[in-house]
This record gives sequence, structure tokens and C-alpha cells, in this order.
Amino acid sequence: MTTIISLMKQVPLPSQMRMGEDGLMDRTKAKSIINVDCSFALEAGLQLKSMMKGAKLIVCSMGPPSFEQSLKTAISMGYDEAYLLSDRRLGGSDTFTTGFALSRMLKHLGFGKGLNEDFIVVAGRQTSDGDTAHVPSQVAENLGIPQATFLENVEFKNSTIIARRIIEGGYQMLKLPIPCTLSFTPTGIPPRRPTLSGAVKARNTQVTVFNTDDIHLEDSQIGLLGSPTIVAKVSSIRSERAPIIMSQGHSGEELVKDLMKNMKSGKNSLEAISKKEAKKVEMPSDSEKVDFRNGASGILTWAEVANGKLSRPSLELLTPAVNLAHSLEEGTKVRTLLIGSNVQELAKELIYHGSDEVIIVDDARLQEYRILLFSSIFAQVIKAYKPEIALFAATTAGRELAPRIGVKTKSGVTADCTALEIGEHRDNKKKIVYAPILESRRPTYGESKLATIIGFVCPQISTARAGTFEVPKRDEEKEGLITPFTPELNEQDFVTEILETHRGEGGLSSLFEADVIVTGGRGALSDDMILIKELASALNTQGVKCEWASSRPVVDLGVCEYARQIGQTGKTVRPKVYIAVGVSGAIQHIVGMKESESIIAINKNAKESIFANADFGIVGEYEDILPALIKEVKNGFVFGLDKDK
Amino acid sequence: MNSDDTISTDVLIVGAGPAGLSSAIHLADEFQKSGQNRRIMVIEKGNAVGAHILSGAILKTDALKELLSEEEYTNLPFDCEVSSDKTLKLSATGAFALPFHPPVMDNMGNKITSLCQICRYLATLAEARGVEVYAGFAVNEILYENDKVIGVKTIDTGVNYQGEKQKNYQKGTSVLARIVILAEGTRGTLAKQLKSKFDLRKDALPQVYSLGIKELWSVPEGNIKEGAVYHTFGYPLDANEEFGGGFVYGLKDNKVALGFAVGLDYADPSFDTHAAMQVWKQHPSIAKFLKDGTLIEFGAKTIPEGGWNSMPKPYTDNVLIVGDSAGMVAMPALKGVHLAVTAGMCAAKAVSKALLNDDTSEKSLSYYKELIDQSRIYSEMYPYRNFRAVMTQGLYVGGLKFGIQLLTNGACLFTPKLEHDNVASKKVSEYTGVPFKKRFEDKLTFDKKLTFDKVTSVFYSGTHHDEEQPIHLHVNDIEDFSEVNIKQYGTSCQYFCPADVYEAHIDKEGKRSLKIHAENCVHCKTCDIKAPNSAITWMTPYGGDGPQYQNL
Ligand SMILES: Cc1cc2nc3c(=O)[nH]c(=O)nc-3n(C[C@H](O)[C@H](O)[C@H](O)COP(=O)(O)OP(=O)(O)OC[C@H]3O[C@@H](n4cnc5c(N)ncnc54)[C@H](O)[C@@H]3O)c2cc1C
Ligand code: SF4
Repeated sequence: MTTIISLMKQVPLPSQMRMGEDGLMDRTKAKSIINVDCSFALEAGLQLKSMMKGAKLIVCSMGPPSFEQSLKTAISMGYDEAYLLSDRRLGGSDTFTTGFALSRMLKHLGFGKGLNEDFIVVAGRQTSDGDTAHVPSQVAENLGIPQATFLENVEFKNSTIIARRIIEGGYQMLKLPIPCTLSFTPTGIPPRRPTLSGAVKARNTQVTVFNTDDIHLEDSQIGLLGSPTIVAKVSSIRSERAPIIMSQGHSGEELVKDLMKNMKSGKNSLEAISKKEAKKVEMPSDSEKVDFRNGASGILTWAEVANGKLSRPSLELLTPAVNLAHSLEEGTKVRTLLIGSNVQELAKELIYHGSDEVIIVDDARLQEYRILLFSSIFAQVIKAYKPEIALFAATTAGRELAPRIGVKTKSGVTADCTALEIGEHRDNKKKIVYAPILESRRPTYGESKLATIIGFVCPQISTARAGTFEVPKRDEEKEGLITPFTPELNEQDFVTEILETHRGEGGLSSLFEADVIVTGGRGALSDDMILIKELASALNTQGVKCEWASSRPVVDLGVCEYARQIGQTGKTVRPKVYIAVGVSGAIQHIVGMKESESIIAINKNAKESIFANADFGIVGEYEDILPALIKEVKNGFVFGLDKDK
Repeated sequence: MNSDDTISTDVLIVGAGPAGLSSAIHLADEFQKSGQNRRIMVIEKGNAVGAHILSGAILKTDALKELLSEEEYTNLPFDCEVSSDKTLKLSATGAFALPFHPPVMDNMGNKITSLCQICRYLATLAEARGVEVYAGFAVNEILYENDKVIGVKTIDTGVNYQGEKQKNYQKGTSVLARIVILAEGTRGTLAKQLKSKFDLRKDALPQVYSLGIKELWSVPEGNIKEGAVYHTFGYPLDANEEFGGGFVYGLKDNKVALGFAVGLDYADPSFDTHAAMQVWKQHPSIAKFLKDGTLIEFGAKTIPEGGWNSMPKPYTDNVLIVGDSAGMVAMPALKGVHLAVTAGMCAAKAVSKALLNDDTSEKSLSYYKELIDQSRIYSEMYPYRNFRAVMTQGLYVGGLKFGIQLLTNGACLFTPKLEHDNVASKKVSEYTGVPFKKRFEDKLTFDKKLTFDKVTSVFYSGTHHDEEQPIHLHVNDIEDFSEVNIKQYGTSCQYFCPADVYEAHIDKEGKRSLKIHAENCVHCKTCDIKAPNSAITWMTPYGGDGPQYQNL
């Protein structure tokens, strides 16, 4: 009988998350819920069971005793057994140790001894209080089993798993053997409500609690001690909006022209708040400088190939890679690993964009990215070249690949960074200065804080948020090496099959990836959103990734499907440009879009609160403004964004 | 789960408010005393106990003292004790403090509390006695056998807007119980069904309600004293049109609880209690307490205030009704918590005896009513039985008559009548007073600092509903609604609903229709009460949905 193991985390309700004065999260005040992605995984587990002839469902978690509450909810949804790994000594664990400890618990329960076992691990894609998406990958690697992440839906067919994985601008159908690890996005089948009889059962079910001794975890493997990465510091990001710039004019055309002018000169910004200078601690003069790299040198990046082309984020990645190399010793090299079929030409492009050496693995069987093969190749290249830093773009592939490699190299991974720099780390107690060290900065806690994370094991691995760095200038004069590499490929790593790859009209996830979102509210309904859609399609024709969406009333009226709803009960998005048309700016809507880079509001009522939450505004009838705007877009106005494709 | 999902219990209590939890606690004690080993289950629709509880609340503590052990009583999470008590008569610009108030309205010595907190605490006491409390489960359906109540069924979930089963469909659980106690609070869904099926209101006057809106604020030091209690009447209400007033309570840690309640028997179809409260807050005597403060929570709930004469027969075979669901609120003080507790204790005694004698018939349960008649429910409600009825005649005439009642132990020179609140509404064309919007024209833009629009208020109630579910607000007859409620009453629901659930939608051709934003609903039940023609029926949405009150 198959065992379905669901990994679950309890998190503070995101809207109630607050930071304490010390920069650490104050979890005490917020209500706790099952992490949303995890709740979708719980449902996926239940769905899988219904497709099988009998399966046992167990749910596992690691965290404080209060997590029992959510484990019981899982039981009331239909799970059979619940296990909690709970020990003070686990405090301070990073994702690497979390993945390790969870795997150890599964091994203790009897799983992960070989590939002929009959179990499936399901997990949420990522947690709302960590946002890394590492753990499912790390667990899969620790257990030595195949994985598929970012899944929307799965089916169980002929003893295999058929999974629909979200990828940039589309999806992929995968076929996986059992055992495997699957992670789920919150876009599939919503979690079922517990039944009362289930709650009665949960009341009478004991959660089995393990401590670290029970599962033979040593102190050196867990907590701060076992974690290859630490949070070095946390600072606040101010997310209030500066005053809006309103357009002037007497007609739709004039107003739009003025908007274009305003956007060109840039939005208002808040005066930088003077941050308290961190007290400079004098280092004891006898402190010792430690270079922990042990001879590792150079920066390795991954060139992701999609549709036979280099993905834009992996070109962007060369910007920080080159900068980091410059901040390190003379002669530090930027190497790029390029895996694919017939990719010689692409290698040159990488060199033109800043890479010093392209390591090429050219194999017809490697045309499409597959995690088991690619992570194994990476490990071999890392062994051969000993880079001190490895960088990945935080794409759906990069975000699962980096942590899987990190387990192989025993390094931690920092996810979704927006800044990468070389610095030093002072340990005053031990009187040691670690330098040089990679400082990876990433926004956390709903973008309100910037955390700096460092690691002490080479390669130091980070993924960089797509769209944060510029693509470096292309220079055809630039020279570099192209070195073929022949990895050992293990037949076992071919077990996961790609049945279909579909890029183009991008499913439910495209709202998250769009650079521009045009949203119609209650005040933009008189034409059934035709103008909204026209503006979106005009932008797409111009080569800008654009989607249209709506506020809740519009969904209530049935004009737009729920999947496109932005706000508290819909999606939270952060495109580069958010255009709110006829949206009043109810607080429930604002929370779903306030992190957008630039917000443009078009509304006939100057008093609406949307204008207090936007950078650029036009007061007027949208029926007049949008046609003028569409015309300008057709003439090439794309809100200052790059045209890409 | 399996298709036949049934569980059984000896006693099932629907609703974990003060009435339901007191029933459970006292029942567990009674069972223990009489050596009965029985199962008690409590089902609550809020996603945690307290999440749907809202009250003033100034508490008369006598009943809780009887219910709890001394130690349990001392640990009750009271906020503070009333330290001063003033009643203000507001005019548009000024205020006049009454030099005294009627003794029934005196609050000195009472405790100010958050009923959410009290209920959370009572739930732990019930659990400690072996009572099973399940929050996050809602029931809409009573199960009958041979026309007698045998239990209830929780709602099916995983059904979409159109009513189609989804992949995550879960059939509701049938709970069979020897005795069901309905403690659903104001305008209980099941209680309403029960009353009509067994005609339990046969000998009662119609029930009338107030809509109470409450806000919790955090204010700068010095705005108000801890324990200070103010009740207001007058502005912005018109003594001849509306019955009601406001309250402001100073809490510890510079918090302020304030509320505004208006009887739903007003005639103006455009009257808006939420907006009236915003107008009230702008009055200098109120605004000063809130200066430079911030809103923390918002909520709304109705209060049955018909009094003794409006109470239904609170029992029939296998079932009892307690607390607000049975209209047990003391007027004119508007206090229901201590009566809910008392009702729970009376019910517990009756149920324990019935089960001991293995007789749960109506006759056996009539003991419950006997106990009520000997309790403070009688002694506090009976003398004021005509209070609300005379007040429908306006504050001054009514107040005078009420004065007479006080002297005559509640007897009236003639027996006043009450009519249902929705009957009191007048058609737009027939309403002769100044419509609400006109009355306060210059006071209805809300600055989102002191005053708030409805949608923003709803945000502060933490309300959430799964959007994939059938609408829980049923328009009973769409055509009729359009003819009567929209055309004749100007879609009055858009005004009386404090949460912007109802929208009077006008399409391109200028045709009016009703749009329902059910996700906003704070479960106050006003629409079920006030919609002309009883056009709207409030049903419970999925368990766990609705507001998330923390400290109201
Ligand atoms: C603004 C305001 C101010 C007040 N001030 C005071 C005051 O100062 N002092 C005082 O003594 N009284 C006051 N009251 C009255 C007092 O709050 C009520 O009388 C008292 O709460 C009634 O208790 P109850 O248990 O009957 O109902 P409730 O407190 O309403 O509890 C009922 C519970 O049942 C649940 N429920 C309902 N239907 C279902 C269902 N179908 N399935 C599952 N669960 C369900 C509800 O979610 C709720 O938790 C005030 C009321 C209001 C609105
Ligand atoms: S819909 Fe009805 S119950 Fe819900 S908030 Fe509005 S009036 Fe109250």
C-alpha cells in the first residue's frame, strides 16, 4: 500500500505578520494557519489517495508544539497519522538543516531506504514566512528520490504520477515514478474543509512527537550549528508610497501625453529615512582573518535554455557575477555552465555578455531541463572546477535546482536575492573575520525587510530574483573559452519523463509574471472590460508581458473569472507597472497590489482612495483615456519597460 | 469521507456564545452531580470560539458567579470595573449630562469586558469538564424523525457558486442527539426554523431588534479614563423617528470600546445605521475620545429587544432554545449576557433531569420554563415587558409611559403592540420625513481616520468567506424583490446592511438589480430581519467563514 507523506508548516497569518523591534518576527501576536501552499499539498495528497486503491496518509511537520493544532486539522481533513519533530535545539535551523532534519524523520519512519519503496512525499511549494521553496528539493535529494516542484495538479495513472508543473509562461506535463517528492502551488484544487466527524477523529488522535534524540540527530547537524547559512542582519524597507503625480490636460489625448511625460521624469520618491548607523564594533586587534574558501575560486552561473534560447534571467545573472568577480582577487573567473542540445551558438552569446568561460554539456538527451540530470551534472562540474560561488536565476527551474545541488555540496542556499555583494563577517566571540564572503540580500516578510544572508561552505549558492539585474551590454569583441565537459550520466536519472512542454498563453501563473497588469474595477464596466483587454493585448503585441485582471466587484458581477481577482481574497501581485482603471482603492484591493513598482490610477473621481496609493494618476472617464493610451502603446509607448521576447 | 457520515451524542449545543457555553459547563456539572456519564458537544460556526461574538459589554456578574467555581470566577478576563457612569443627551452641537439615570440603567460595580475573551475562557472551562467544543462548523439543517428533532447536519462543503460539487466536496456530518440546545444568538437560523415549524411564537408578540455596531480603538494616553462609561441618546437620531443611542467605554491600556445601536423599527427606507454611527463619532463629545487614535476592530450584530412579551416558547420535544435566540435580553439596559448564562443553567438543570428520567419530551422539558420563571430572567424582564413597545411611539411619549410602568411594575394603561421591524419600513414614496442622506448631507464623506466607509470597516472585522460556495444570503423571490424591494423601497438593504453586502446595481440601460457581495457579511442578521416582505433569508455559510473578532 502506498504511503502518502505530506510535509506541512504552520505559519502566522500573513496579514497579521509583524516584526518585533529586534528585527525578528514576532509570531506571538499573529494567528496561526496552515501555510497556504501546504494546505494545497494536503488536498493533493487526499486527491492522490482517491485515485489509488487504498493509501495511507501521514502528515509530518517540524516546529514548536503549537504546530499540533494544524496537524490535527490535517487529520480532520482525512489524514491518518501525524508526526511532529519538535525540539528547542532545532531553533535557528536554515533550510538546509530543515530539509535534513525532515528527511531524517522520514527515514526514522522507515522511508527513503531505496528506490523500490512505495511512498510519495507531497509538500507546499514554499512557505509564506520563508519564501524559499528549498525544502521539497532538499528532502528529495536527501532521500535520493526524483522530484517535481511547482505543481498545479497531479494524477495517479498506471502506478506513475502525471504532474502538471508550472514553468515560465506555460506548463509542462511530467511523468514520475514512485517514490518521488511533489511540491504544490496554491493554484490547484483548494483544500477541503474538515468535516465534523473528521474533527472528532482528530480530537481522539495523538500526534506523535519526536525530539532530536529520538531520530538520532546530533547537535552538530541541527540548529545554528548545523546550518551552513546564517542571517547576518535585517534592515527595514520603507514601503509607503510617495505623493502621486497627477496628469494635467483637457482631453484623453492630452492627459495621456502628460502621463507619458511624467513617467519619463520618474515618480516621486520618499526621502530616504536615515537609518540608524549600525554601531561600528571595534574588532579586537588580535582577531584572525580566515579565508574559508580552501582554494575554491571563481563564480559559476547557470545558463537556462528555454525554447532553444537563453532565458533572459540567466543573462541578467551575469551582471552580479561579473561585479562579484571584480570585487574578488584579480583573475577571478566567471564561468557559465550551459547544458542542452546544439547549444554551441548560445555559448558565444554568454561570452559576449560577460562570461569568461562557458562549460558546455551538449547532448541530444539534454534538450529540456530535468532536475535529476542537471543537478548531477552540476555537482560534477563543481567538483572539477571548485567555484567559490554558484549563482542561479530564481526561475521555477533555478529555485528547485539550486537547493538540490546545495544538498550535494553541503552548502546552504539563499533564495530570491535582489543584491549580491562581497563583504566580510566578524565573529567577535571567536575573534575571527571571515573574508571574503558573499553577502546575499533578499526581501522577507512580505517585502518589508531586507535580510542579509551569508554562508560558510563553498560554493556559496544564491538564486537571484528575475528582473532585478540588468542584462549586461553585449560586446562581440569580448573573448572567452568554450570548454566541453562530458559528465557521467546515470541511467537512473532519466526516470522522470517530460510528456509535453507548453509555453505561450500562461495559465494561472501569468499574473505573477506579467510586467504590466491592467486592472478594471467597478468603474470600468460599461464596456464589459473591452478597453482593458485591448490595452493588455496592445502591450503584448509590443513585446511587453501584460495581463489583465479585476477587482472583486467585477468578479462578483461575473464579468471576470475569480482567477484574475487581485486583492486580499484574490492574488497578490507585484508587476513593474500596475494600471488600475476604475478601481476605487478599497483597502482589500490595495493589499494585493501595493508592492507593484509603479502604480498608475485612472478614475473619474479624484477623491477615490486609489489615488493615495498610486504614483501616477489621471482623473477622467476611462472611455476617453484608454483609447488614447492604446493608441500611444500601438505607437510604441510601453511605460518605460524593455520590449522583450 | 464516507457517504453516511453520522455521529451521535447525548447533548448537542449549537453556538458557543455565553448561552451555549454556560449550558455546557453547567450540564457537565449537573451530570457529574447526578452520576451520569454523558457526551456533550458544542458546535460553533466561527473559526474559533469568540470569533463571532460581539457585545458591549458591561457585565452583571451575578450569573457567572453562580456558574463557576470561585477560582474560575476570579480568573475571568474582565477588562476593568466601571468607575464612572454618565448618560449624555446629545444635540447637534452640544451635550447635556443627565443628573441621574433610572436605577435599572445604573452600571456602577459592573465589569467591562470583551465578550470574545470571556467566551474563549469559558470554552476552556467547558473543555476541562470533558465537553467537546468544535469551532469552525456551521449547521443550517435540523434533522427530524416523526416530526421530532433528532439532531442537526453540518453544511456540505466543496460546492461552487452554482451549487455544483467540486473535487474537494465534503458531505456534511449528521449529528444525532437526544437533546439539542439552540444557542445561536440573535436571530438563530435553526431557532427560526424551529419556531416556525412548531409555531413556538404563537403566544408571543413579534420580536423586534436593534442593530448594534461596535468599534475598538487604541487612543493616546489621557483621552479617556479606564472604567469610564458614557451612554448617549439624541443626536444624530431623531427622537420621533429612531430609537437608540451610543456608548463609549474606557478600557485599560488606552483602549476604547464604542458602539451605536438603533432599533430596526425605523420607517425611513434609506436609514443607514453604519453611517449614523460615523456621524455620531464626529460629534465633539465623542470625537474627543478618539482624537489621534486608531481603529483596531469593527463589528456589528443585532440584539433582540422585544423583551418578555416577545419571547417564544423556548422548548419542545428534544430541543431547547437559550439566550438571544429566545429573546432573553433585559431592556432597557440592553443586557443579555447574564441572562444567557442564567438560561444556560436553567436549561442544563432541565436537560440533566430529563436524561436521568429518560424522558426528553416537551412535557418533561417544560421544567426549563418553570426554572426560567423563577429566575432573574423573569425578575429582570417581566417588569419591563412593555418598555420597547411604548418606545415605538417615540422617545418622549414612550419615555413618559415607561416612567409610569416603573411605578406600576410594568403594567400599562393599555397593552401596546409591537410589529415586525420590516413592516415598520415605509416605501420611498410614502416616507414623509427627511431621508437620511439629506439629513446628514455634509457629514457623509469619511476620512478613514475618524470615520470609515463600510468596506474599510469590514476590513477591520477580519471577515473572510470562501468565494467558492453558494451565496449564503437567499433572495427568496427575485422577481418579487425587484418589484417590491428595489422599486418601492429603493433597495433599502444597501443602506441597512452595515457591511456593504448589497449593491444596487444599475446597468447600461439603467435597469436596476441587486448584486450581493456575500464575502463582506459580518453575520449581523439585519437583512433577515429588516428586508421588506421578508425577502432575504440569512443562512450560515461554510463553518469558519465570517468575521474574526478578537476583542469585541
Ligand atoms: C452592540 C451590543 C452591545 C451589547 N452590550 C451588552 C452589554 O453591555 N451587556 C450585556 O449583558 N449584554 C450586551 N449585549 C447583548 C449580549 O451580547 C447578548 O445578549 C449575548 O451575547 C447573547 O448570548 P448568546 O450566547 O445567546 O448569543 P451569542 O453571543 O450571539 O452567541 C451565539 C454563538 O452561536 C454561534 N452560532 C450561531 N448560529 C450558528 C449555527 N447555525 N451553527 C453554529 N454556530 C452558530 C455564533 O457564531 C455565536 O458564536 C450587547 C449586544 C450588542 C450587539
Ligand atoms: S448581509 Fe445581512 S447579515 Fe450580512 S452584514 Fe449585511 S445585513 Fe448583516
